[in-house]
Amino acid sequence: MAENDVLFKVKNLTLRLGGNLILENLSFDVIDRVRPGVVTGQIVALLGPSGVGKTRLLRIMAGLDEADHGDVYDSKDIPLEAGQVGVVFQNYILLRHHTVLGNLVVAGVMNGMKREVARDKAAQLLARFGLGERAGFYPMQLSGGQRQRVAIAQQLVHQKQLLLMDEPFSGLDPAALDDVVKLLVQVRDMDELNTLFIVTHDIRTALKVADTALMLGRDRTPDGKISSGAHIKEKIDMVALGLAYRDDLDTDPKFLELERRIKSEFRDL
Amino acid sequence: MKLPLSNIFLPNRPVDKTMTLGIVAFWVAIALLLWIASPFASLPGPNEVRHALADLWMNQGMAPELFTTLRLILHALALTVVISLVLSYATVMPFFRPLVEGVAKLRFLGITGLVIPFTLITGGGYELKVYLLTFGMTTYFVTAMAQVVVEIPRENFDHMRALGAGEPRILWEVVILGTLDKALEVMRQNLAMGWTMITMVEGISRAEGGLGAMILNQEKHFKLPEVYAILVLILIVGLMLDYSIGLLQRVACPYAIIERMRA
Repeated sequence: MAENDVLFKVKNLTLRLGGNLILENLSFDVIDRVRPGVVTGQIVALLGPSGVGKTRLLRIMAGLDEADHGDVYDSKDIPLEAGQVGVVFQNYILLRHHTVLGNLVVAGVMNGMKREVARDKAAQLLARFGLGERAGFYPMQLSGGQRQRVAIAQQLVHQKQLLLMDEPFSGLDPAALDDVVKLLVQVRDMDELNTLFIVTHDIRTALKVADTALMLGRDRTPDGKISSGAHIKEKIDMVALGLAYRDDLDTDPKFLELERRIKSEFRDL
Repeated sequence: MKLPLSNIFLPNRPVDKTMTLGIVAFWVAIALLLWIASPFASLPGPNEVRHALADLWMNQGMAPELFTTLRLILHALALTVVISLVLSYATVMPFFRPLVEGVAKLRFLGITGLVIPFTLITGGGYELKVYLLTFGMTTYFVTAMAQVVVEIPRENFDHMRALGAGEPRILWEVVILGTLDKALEVMRQNLAMGWTMITMVEGISRAEGGLGAMILNQEKHFKLPEVYAILVLILIVGLMLDYSIGLLQRVACPYAIIERMRA
């Protein structure tokens, strides 16, 4: 892969539910970000107000729902199917009858890995995510943040380079939010081709962590009525703006202005 | 931290293990006192019942009768569990839902009216009792277990699909293993229901014996201490069976116990 090569693309997605147009001709590409001398994956944030169709889009991208038209393709233009894309759901679902280690091993085994190989990979991931001592715990014995880390690790046992995350910042206190941001960066930088696709309405955190932000919204008539299904209204290249891979964005006037603009546009999306 | 004793009389207050044991001991003592001081002549005293129990056990073959009853209930329970779980898990397929719903509705039929058709099918005897008990327990088991399966959140299935699991694996992990603790709980409740039906069912065909037949024979001769002694044994064995399934739950599904403790 070379810089700006397309890693996956969404082409002309249209979805109707009960006669309502939810998504209309929605298209975008995710490109490979390359930083010389640094292994860097991608983080794409999909921003949009509640009810605009973000989760619907995520479900289609995950292969869990079918669109009426259009599809999601990998870099070789082959449509993606369920199981090829990792998904971390909003409430960090895990198998309650398996331990933390068991949850990861099951994920590996059902993708064709030998149990011993899956166990080794699982143990490595748990150690990397600071969960080595929790391997024998059951999911209900973990805190929300720990569950989230296990849910991500579970998706990574069997190498999946596209990881979809539904509202990963929802309901977190500021300290936990910082931890999640660090975790996402850690996962992003585990492999050059790793791509995290984050669905969220937390504008600030999304802009801080993403290299690309997509604004999902609907067109409106002059009198304010919704006139179409949701599509990508704007694609913001945070790298081109010089606002990616930085820890000091909270005080950058350019970042703050971008955040203000997006917030003000949010209610009209 | 030591909890104040007054907690036992206040609503929604925590109590520790010693307090719980004390409360249970208090109520057992009250029950025994009421029994000893009972003014009803028809209620034999604890000593009479104890002697009757010893006599039944040592001289009147109570142990083989108990074995007969246990064999019957466990046979019926095994059939119930297999039939009910297959039907309940089948609710994930729309084709089978009306069938499962229909079986669950049969619980309103009751088993008394089914004695004749089941006698004609089985020819009576042990088979008839197994059929009746299995029928009685299955209708309730399916009702409860199908509901457990229906209530599995859709996200749990999606999670497995996103992990790359095929439908058989999803059925195994989410539906079968994921509800194992609840299946054992339903089994526990149904065993209790089956146990309460046992004397009635054994009374239908007494030739094979069993505690049900034994109690009816004692009633016929109005031997009240013996009747109560058999009732006491039925209660104790019922509690032991219930405890055994609870133990199985703790061993097979430790996560469910942790979940309950944290709730």
